[in-house]
Amino acid sequence: MSTTVVFSSSLSFLFLNTTTPKSYRCLTFKPYHVGTFPLLTRSHFPFLASSVDNVTVIDEMETVEKAEVLVSNGSAFTVPKFRDARWIAGTWDLEQFKKGENTDWDAVIDAEVRRRKWLKDHLESSSNDDPVVFRSSIIPWWPWVKRFHLPEAELLNGRAAMIGIFMAYLVECLTGIGLVDQMNNFFCKTLMFVTVVGVLLIRKNEDIQNLKDLSNEITMYDKQWQAAWKEDDRK
Amino acid sequence: MATQFTSTAGTQLKSFVGLRQSSLQTTSSTSLRPRSRRITSFQIRASRSSPKVPGRPLRVAIVGGGPAGGAAAETLARGGVETFLIERKLDNAKPCGGAIPLCMVDEFDIPMDIIDRKVTKMKMISPSNVAVDIGRTLKPHEYIGMVRREVLDEHLREKAKSLGATVINGLFLKMDKPKDNVSPYVLHYNHYDGSKGAGMGVPRTLQVDAVIGADGANSRVAKSIDAGDYEYAIAFQERVKIPSNKMVYYEDLAEMYVGQDVSPDFYGWVFPKCDHVAVGTGTVTHKKDIKKFQNATRLRAKDKIEGGKIIRVEAHPIPEHPRPRRVLDRVALVGDAAGYVTKCSGEGIYFAAKSGRMCAEAIVQGSENGKRLVDESDLRVYLAKFDKAYWPTYKVLDVLQKVFYRSDPAREAFVEMCADEYVQKMTFDSYLYKKVVPGNPLDDIKLAFNTIGSLVRANAMRREMAKLAD
Repeated sequence: MSTTVVFSSSLSFLFLNTTTPKSYRCLTFKPYHVGTFPLLTRSHFPFLASSVDNVTVIDEMETVEKAEVLVSNGSAFTVPKFRDARWIAGTWDLEQFKKGENTDWDAVIDAEVRRRKWLKDHLESSSNDDPVVFRSSIIPWWPWVKRFHLPEAELLNGRAAMIGIFMAYLVECLTGIGLVDQMNNFFCKTLMFVTVVGVLLIRKNEDIQNLKDLSNEITMYDKQWQAAWKEDDRK
Repeated sequence: MATQFTSTAGTQLKSFVGLRQSSLQTTSSTSLRPRSRRITSFQIRASRSSPKVPGRPLRVAIVGGGPAGGAAAETLARGGVETFLIERKLDNAKPCGGAIPLCMVDEFDIPMDIIDRKVTKMKMISPSNVAVDIGRTLKPHEYIGMVRREVLDEHLREKAKSLGATVINGLFLKMDKPKDNVSPYVLHYNHYDGSKGAGMGVPRTLQVDAVIGADGANSRVAKSIDAGDYEYAIAFQERVKIPSNKMVYYEDLAEMYVGQDVSPDFYGWVFPKCDHVAVGTGTVTHKKDIKKFQNATRLRAKDKIEGGKIIRVEAHPIPEHPRPRRVLDRVALVGDAAGYVTKCSGEGIYFAAKSGRMCAEAIVQGSENGKRLVDESDLRVYLAKFDKAYWPTYKVLDVLQKVFYRSDPAREAFVEMCADEYVQKMTFDSYLYKKVVPGNPLDDIKLAFNTIGSLVRANAMRREMAKLAD
């Protein structure tokens, strides 16, 4: 059971604990509007010289000026590049992360996290002369598990255990069936399965809505494609 | 965007096909028609009971002369149907990626001189500027063809013309629907023949028995049959003429930039064209910020396009999913008008041409080479065939987009996955030949584990990043 908890909780990371705004998960299916049409008008594109669905050719002189300003803008105000003593030639120098005999992988993860945060705030251009060759896959699996997975697994297992003990006690009080006999009963096994799944999937109150949105999202595209085949009688 | 480049995760370079994003409303999975709850599924029956067309071949009008219209016109003309192709701008240079897969070159007999470039290498760049090279698994004869839309469209139209189709330079205005199954459709259009001066058209009408709407994302034919809305993306592109020493780098290489800065639900690209590059990006949910995304894309590619001059700015809407209604009586929609653009990569040219061809084939078959009238059930044969053939492709790309374009960690994981050879091979095979090929199951399982691993790592790092902000 603990292995399923471990595995499922890692899977749940992917979907439920993202901090992306809700809009990303909600695919709406616009109800059928008679007569409306997503025509793009000039109000949608104030910056374009003429209507959108035609190709806009901007005057050569205008674009030259604009282009030079735009393209050289980067050098006009120089964006500070990411610098760190341990970041050498586009990757982390693992020699500098040694803690005694072994590499301190936690420190590598921290350094990479800091670099990504820096890049988010200070956009950098990708360059062929100075490419990034670091791959997070060089960090073995166990630092990740130890640092990210185990605390959460401990939490979830703890919750499941508490609920389990309490429910076993309650059921025994109500029916007199001991724990071993409860496990033999199919209904009780089902209840236990439901509890485990519930603890894994629903960790915060928002998770219930998230799950509903996810299931909508998974089927939305199918519905859009099937739409041509399901129509009310028009005639 | 040019070619669809399918990366291992199945991401393909989109040809301006936007990533759709769900809008900001909360979900309400309303059905298309809120009026009645009873839904009837349609069945396909060949219209054997259709009356014969007296003394003349079946007349079909195709509104729109892009890849969909051109391919449909060719097949109809070849099948003995009297074809009219109405196109409003015969030299229209569409803002489009211009990438065509290998199977299109074979299936539509595209001559080699139309293909400007053969892209065989791709570079994917993650939000943290990790760059991955893709294309090592391509065989020598495999490539992604880059074409200029005006050249390709012209070629397809000329081919149709040589087989007997009539190409009309005109702007379709509206359509009068017939009252019964045998009366003709009356199309109203402005005919441009130069007699009234530039831009002025002579109003004319055309009577036909069936209509194919191939007039693109803002289709008027779709409007006239109340086909419904779709969500759409905006793709914005600048054509930049860069110095020739920098152009060498892009000789046969296309780049794809992913990141929240470049697009929240799509990717930014640098695609080589005949003598310049196209730098662009797209979005569904944040259309107002498109300029910001374009600046970010230019910044990411700054070193490689430095010194370039912008020679053209283009933008176009791209459908995200099919319209609710694609066929009504004797009118069918194909191509962008129907909404056949894939998610994730935004490929549309091939599916437009193929859907045009399939629709035309259904008409030719249902009318027995132009001798009988067609009705809705014949056109639904085309829908069934298209959906059956390409549904897996669309679904896989949809899943890929949902999983890998959600957030920056997902995009990092995505780029990491693309470094894997197996992924590259699978992606290219499915892109170039448009078949979802089931690979080696063991490798698939390994790939699944690696994907989950990447996603978990990237998400874990992102949570740490959030902690740093505090």
